[in-house]
Amino acid sequence: MADHKNHAGHAEEHFREKHLMLDPLPRGQMNDMVMESMHTTSWKFWVVFAILSAIVGYGLFYSWGTMIAEGLGIAGVNRPSYWGIFLVNTVFWIGISHAGTFISAILRVFKAEFRRPFTRAAELMTTFGLVQAGFSVFMHMGRVWLAYWLMPYANQRMLWPNLHSPLTWDLLAITTYLLSSTMYLFLPLIPDLAMARDRSTGWRKTFYKTLALGFRGTEGEWAHLRNAMNIFAFAIIPVMFSVHTIVSWDFAAATRPGWNSSIFGPYFVVGALHSGMGAVIMVLAVVRATMKHMKYFIRPEHFDAIAKLMLIISMAWAYFFFNDYMVQWYGGDKWTHQLLHFHEAGPLGWMWFAMLIFNIAIPWAVLWNQKWRSTPWIVFIVGFFINIGMWFERYIIVPISLSINRMPFTWRMYEPGVEIPLGIGTLAFFILLYMGASKLIPLIPVWEVEEGQMAHELKKFGRETVVSVSELE
Amino acid sequence: MIRPEEIKMSADESGKWGMVIDQDICTGCQACVAACAMENNISFVGEKDSGYGRSMHWIRIERFWEGEYPEVKMTPNQPMLCQQCGSATCEPVCPAFATVHSQAEQLNLQVYNRCVGTRYCANNCPYQVRSFNWRDYERPEPLSNQLNPDVTVRRRGVMEKCTFCIQRIHKAQDKAKSEGREVLDGEFTTACAQACPANAITFGRVDDPESLVSQLAKKRGHGIKHLEELGTLPNVTYFKGG
Amino acid sequence: MADNISGNENSGSVSLLAVFPDLGPAADAIEKLRDLGLSDDQMNVISGIPATEAMLGRPNQWTNVPRLAAGGAVLGFFGGAFLTFVSPFLYPVPIQVGTQGIVPGPPTVVVLFELTMLGMLLSTFLGVFLDSYFPNYRPMEYVKEISDGKIAVFFICPGENCEKFTKAMTALGAEKVEAAEVFHL
Repeated sequence: MADHKNHAGHAEEHFREKHLMLDPLPRGQMNDMVMESMHTTSWKFWVVFAILSAIVGYGLFYSWGTMIAEGLGIAGVNRPSYWGIFLVNTVFWIGISHAGTFISAILRVFKAEFRRPFTRAAELMTTFGLVQAGFSVFMHMGRVWLAYWLMPYANQRMLWPNLHSPLTWDLLAITTYLLSSTMYLFLPLIPDLAMARDRSTGWRKTFYKTLALGFRGTEGEWAHLRNAMNIFAFAIIPVMFSVHTIVSWDFAAATRPGWNSSIFGPYFVVGALHSGMGAVIMVLAVVRATMKHMKYFIRPEHFDAIAKLMLIISMAWAYFFFNDYMVQWYGGDKWTHQLLHFHEAGPLGWMWFAMLIFNIAIPWAVLWNQKWRSTPWIVFIVGFFINIGMWFERYIIVPISLSINRMPFTWRMYEPGVEIPLGIGTLAFFILLYMGASKLIPLIPVWEVEEGQMAHELKKFGRETVVSVSELE
Repeated sequence: MIRPEEIKMSADESGKWGMVIDQDICTGCQACVAACAMENNISFVGEKDSGYGRSMHWIRIERFWEGEYPEVKMTPNQPMLCQQCGSATCEPVCPAFATVHSQAEQLNLQVYNRCVGTRYCANNCPYQVRSFNWRDYERPEPLSNQLNPDVTVRRRGVMEKCTFCIQRIHKAQDKAKSEGREVLDGEFTTACAQACPANAITFGRVDDPESLVSQLAKKRGHGIKHLEELGTLPNVTYFKGG
Repeated sequence: MADNISGNENSGSVSLLAVFPDLGPAADAIEKLRDLGLSDDQMNVISGIPATEAMLGRPNQWTNVPRLAAGGAVLGFFGGAFLTFVSPFLYPVPIQVGTQGIVPGPPTVVVLFELTMLGMLLSTFLGVFLDSYFPNYRPMEYVKEISDGKIAVFFICPGENCEKFTKAMTALGAEKVEAAEVFHL
């Protein structure tokens, strides 16, 4: 490690600047940086925090309370758009949550080294995104106070949930996903919590001490942890795929024009990754810009790597979208034709075109350029547009597609009501949870970064210096 | 997909109720809509909600313009109500078993108590005949005396739909049982059929070849079942242009 | 198991903690301790990064986590099987929906999959707790430098002559060798 610091060749200097993995700092220093990033809080943080709390208080809790008390009448759902923005937001938040697993599980399994500094930042999005998805889907229920009836539990009257219903599968799948992604967030966090415990005082000491569970780092503890993380990394991937596939089945299993499509499973999974990656890159850009020392850990190389994935996923999304559209257009019955026409030329046709521009045209136009895609504010904007585009996509699938059915007598437009403050409330709550977490738990998995820095070195092939990675595990 | 002939009734099943609607004699007077609302304690949602697609009638009269102006003509009135599908798409999608198939009456039941309001059934109903209690609608004082004691009053957040006046079916069955006989054809009928001044709606046992519904179906022929191509096996037959 | 050794239970012996700056010297130290007559279960390595057994030249760690995961998967599978194959028949009259069977066909696979995975992942997580004796807030031998990336070799020196162990460790580059202090973590 210390070797290449001595001969500071030009190439080495260049590599060090570029790659976190080749720019090692002593562990203690990295620990200090991460601790300081948690402790340093400017007054702006608290201003934003207060504003978001107010939005959550009004948008989420007050509005939801009113809706529970008065009924769904204050929302915009009607016949035939029985689902509305509630389900749009549910699908949207579950989509956001997929990026976390993608980065921390799939990239871990494939040993993509650039993942190391931001696996936790992404995993946090999974857990907090799923919380918002849960809120959104519970809001939508007519009698949410009876939601526990959907859980399989032994009861005196022997009433069990209906396992024929995609919603029941959804409940099982999202519960599994929420629990397992939270556990998967927690396991790699234990060593970092132990680190934080060793360098805190006061209430933080108690907090970290409790959460670190008495972890010391003995061989046995590491072996159990490594094994468990390995099992999680592999097992959570099919769970992630199943979750969004089942979400798509809520639509695809229904007897409705436009919904009853067999490609919805992979189409939804790719769509989830599309919005999720866009959200990850936005979060990382904000974290890098606002938190202390994060410019060391999160570098242009990481934006470059994620943006490349975004470009590929955007292409995959375009492929699945076209596939779905083509087959519906070609073989569609009169209702499907009516629906496709309504998508493009209906009163909300602009949304359909905006979806295509935001999800395909903008990422393709920007992300091919390495310089652009390594610039945080540019990819932030692209990520923002992708998320708007993917929200539009779900809006087109849920309320717009619901407006057209096989009974033209009931066709009617959907006008959102209290869904708007509720939706903004979930967004504010997501950011609020994330802000809180960024001050409470080490956002950078320091031990993983150190492990990566140990594994990387520069190697000379003839006159060229290249990066080489050793497999430590 | 299940074909109609595969749906068989077991020996202890007591009947298969059905309806025949003659669109040619339907005048669109909405008497059925009013009678149904009275019989089944349906809430009055008011002008605003009704205009926004939240009317809660279990039966509605549909009518369309056909053709381009000025060559327009009106289609015949089409009363639309729950088709009591033999293979209902609304049933399997409810996570709480709140809408289930009744083996005894071959009807599509809605269990209000069990409904948690996911509204999936309504989305998946190709006939769009389910209505949801968007609010707790007011029932001003004297009107509460009009409530039918045989029918549950639904609260907000619950899905509901036409039951083929199952309370009347059960009342007639109980009466027949106490008198030690079968239910006679025409002994009772649903509220909509009872109220129809033109006798456009006929209700009865479709599995009994002697019943009026079966006779009418035979006599008129060429009845259509809506969206039959979806394999829902509806129990309501429509006649028009006879 | 090795991570549960404690010098305090053994009245005649002293437990020592030698802190090394890097993996190499720590591995050498382990080798040396073996030469000095300590067996593998009389020492342990405490580190801030996951150093593998191969790096340290240590015997493989036994872990129950994969077995517990498999057990949990089986339990989860049976939980799913109960839901799909048994619960529909617990109703006084099995409920028919649409024209689907009482036991749903393909949906069975979905339920079995989700509950198997849930069982497996929950028990993997619990396995870490069981195997590592988490949560454990009792005082333990530890130095805070470990989370700064130091490698601590923890061992029990039998009897009185701890001098030679200390000297050997220092010779191999230990930054400090001291009686393992017991910390309230």
